[in-house]
Amino acid sequence: MWLDVLLFGLLITSFMLVVAKRISALINYFTLQSLALFLLMLILAYGHTGVKLYLVAGLIFLLKVVLIPFFLKRIMRKIKVEENVGFFVNPVISVLIALVLVYLSYAFTTKLLHITETLAQGAFSVAISIIFIGMFLMISRIKALVQIVGLLVMENGLFLAAISVSGGMPFLVEVVIFFDILVSVVILELFVYKINNAFEHIDSNKLKGLQG
Amino acid sequence: MKILFFVAQVLALVALAPLVSGIIRKIKNNLRMRQGPGILQPYYNLIKLFGKDEVISVNTSWIFTVTPYVVLVSSVLALMLVPVFVSDVSLNYMGDFLLIIFILALGRFFLALAGLDAGSSFGGMGSSREMFISSFVEPVVVMVIFVVALNAHSTGLQVISAVPVLSLPLIIAATAMMFVIIAETSRIPVDNQETHLELTMVHEAMVLEYSGRSLALIELAAHVKQIVFFSLIASVILPFGIARDIAPMPLLASFIYYGLKIMALTVIISVIEISMAKMRLFRVIDFLNIAFVLSVLGIVILAMGK
Repeated sequence: MWLDVLLFGLLITSFMLVVAKRISALINYFTLQSLALFLLMLILAYGHTGVKLYLVAGLIFLLKVVLIPFFLKRIMRKIKVEENVGFFVNPVISVLIALVLVYLSYAFTTKLLHITETLAQGAFSVAISIIFIGMFLMISRIKALVQIVGLLVMENGLFLAAISVSGGMPFLVEVVIFFDILVSVVILELFVYKINNAFEHIDSNKLKGLQG
Repeated sequence: MKILFFVAQVLALVALAPLVSGIIRKIKNNLRMRQGPGILQPYYNLIKLFGKDEVISVNTSWIFTVTPYVVLVSSVLALMLVPVFVSDVSLNYMGDFLLIIFILALGRFFLALAGLDAGSSFGGMGSSREMFISSFVEPVVVMVIFVVALNAHSTGLQVISAVPVLSLPLIIAATAMMFVIIAETSRIPVDNQETHLELTMVHEAMVLEYSGRSLALIELAAHVKQIVFFSLIASVILPFGIARDIAPMPLLASFIYYGLKIMALTVIISVIEISMAKMRLFRVIDFLNIAFVLSVLGIVILAMGK
C-alpha cells in the first residue's frame, strides 16, 4: 500500500517536472522525486535484514535530496540564470507526450518483456516511464541546466528499475554509481559555468555554431 | 435502521458542510499568518442572510426565483447518492456515479440560466465562464469514473466503495479529482471565492444578483456540493476504511477514516490555494489539461498493468 503511494509520488513528480516552467521549480520537483525514492528504499530496507539497504537509502538522501539540489541551486545563483526553462515543445503538448511515453513503457514492459517483479506490481513499468520522461525532458528543453536534471531523473528511473526487478544492485556497485553521479553533476556544473562564461547564456540551441 | 441511518447521515452532512468551508478558510488564514474569522463564520453568514429581505429585479422571470431551490436540491440529491460511511447506505438503487454528475450539471445549468436571466453584464459573463470551465471539467470527471469503474467492474457506487484497495491508478484518479474539486468549488488557480473583483469572478459573478434567503440557499448549495466532491474522493475513489454494514465497530472506524480523509483534503486544498496565483481564464485550459492527462494515465495504468 505504501509502495503504491510512493510509486505514485515518483510518477507524479515526473509529470510535475514536465509541466514546470521555472528552473528552481524543476530542481525542487527533482528533490521531491528523490525524497520519494529515499522513502521507498527505506521501506524496502525495513523489510530486509542487514544494514546495507539502510546505507543505500542514506546515500540517496545525502546525494540526491541534499547535495545535488544544493549544487544545482548554487550554479543557478552563480551564473544568475534566467528562470525560464525554455520549451522546444510547449507544456500542454509535453504532458500529452509524457502520457504517450507512459503508455509505451507499460505496453513494452507488460506485453513484450515478461518480468517478474519483486518490489510491487507495476514498479518496473513506472521505472521505465520515468527513464523515458527524463530523456524527453533532456531533448525537449533548451537550457543546459534542465538537461542535467533530465539526466538525474533518468538515473532515478534506472535505480528504481534495478530495485524493482532484482531487489537492488550489489552494494559496491551502488556506491560506485552514486559516486559517479556526484562527480558527473560536479563536472556538468563546471561545464554549465564555462559555457555561460564563454557564450553568456546556457541555451543549448545556440551552441551549434562554431566559435574561434 | 438503514433508512434512519441514511436520513441522519444526509442531515448531518448538510449541517456540517459549511463547517468544512470554515475550516479551509481558517487554515488558509493561519498559513498566511493572519487571525481570520472563526471556523463557524459560514454559519453566521447563512443565518444573517436567511434573516434578510430579498431584492428581486422586475426584469427577471420565474427561472431566477426557482434557481436557488433547484441548485440546493440538486446538491443534496447528489449527496444522497454518495455512500459516505457505509458502502450500501445511499440511494444507490436510483442511479450510479454518472447520475451524480448529471444531477450536479442540472444545478449548474440553472445557475447559469439565472445568471443570464437578470440581464446584467456580469451575470452573463459569469455564466459563460462557468460553462467554459465546466466543459473542460466534465471530461475529467468521466475519465475518473472510468478508472474506478474499471477497477471495480461496475459503475454502481455501492460496488465501487466496497473495493477497499489503495492502488496506483486510484491514487492518480483521486489526484485528477482534486483538480476537479478546485475548479468546481471555485478555488484559487481557477476562481477566487473571497473576492468580488469584477475581472476574476466566475461563480460570484453568476450569483451577483441574488440577495437574502436566495443567496443563503445558493451558498449552502455550494458548501454541500463541496462536501459531495470530498466524499467522492474519501468514500468512493479511495474507500479504504469504509464500513460494509451498520455495526458499531466498523462504523466507528469509518467515521474516523472519513474525518481524517476530509481533514487531509482540507489541508491539501488550503496549501494549494495559498501557494498558487489565480490563473488567467485561458490558462485554466492548461491546468485542466493536466487533470485530463492524469485521469487518462489512470486508465492506461489500470488497463495495461494487469
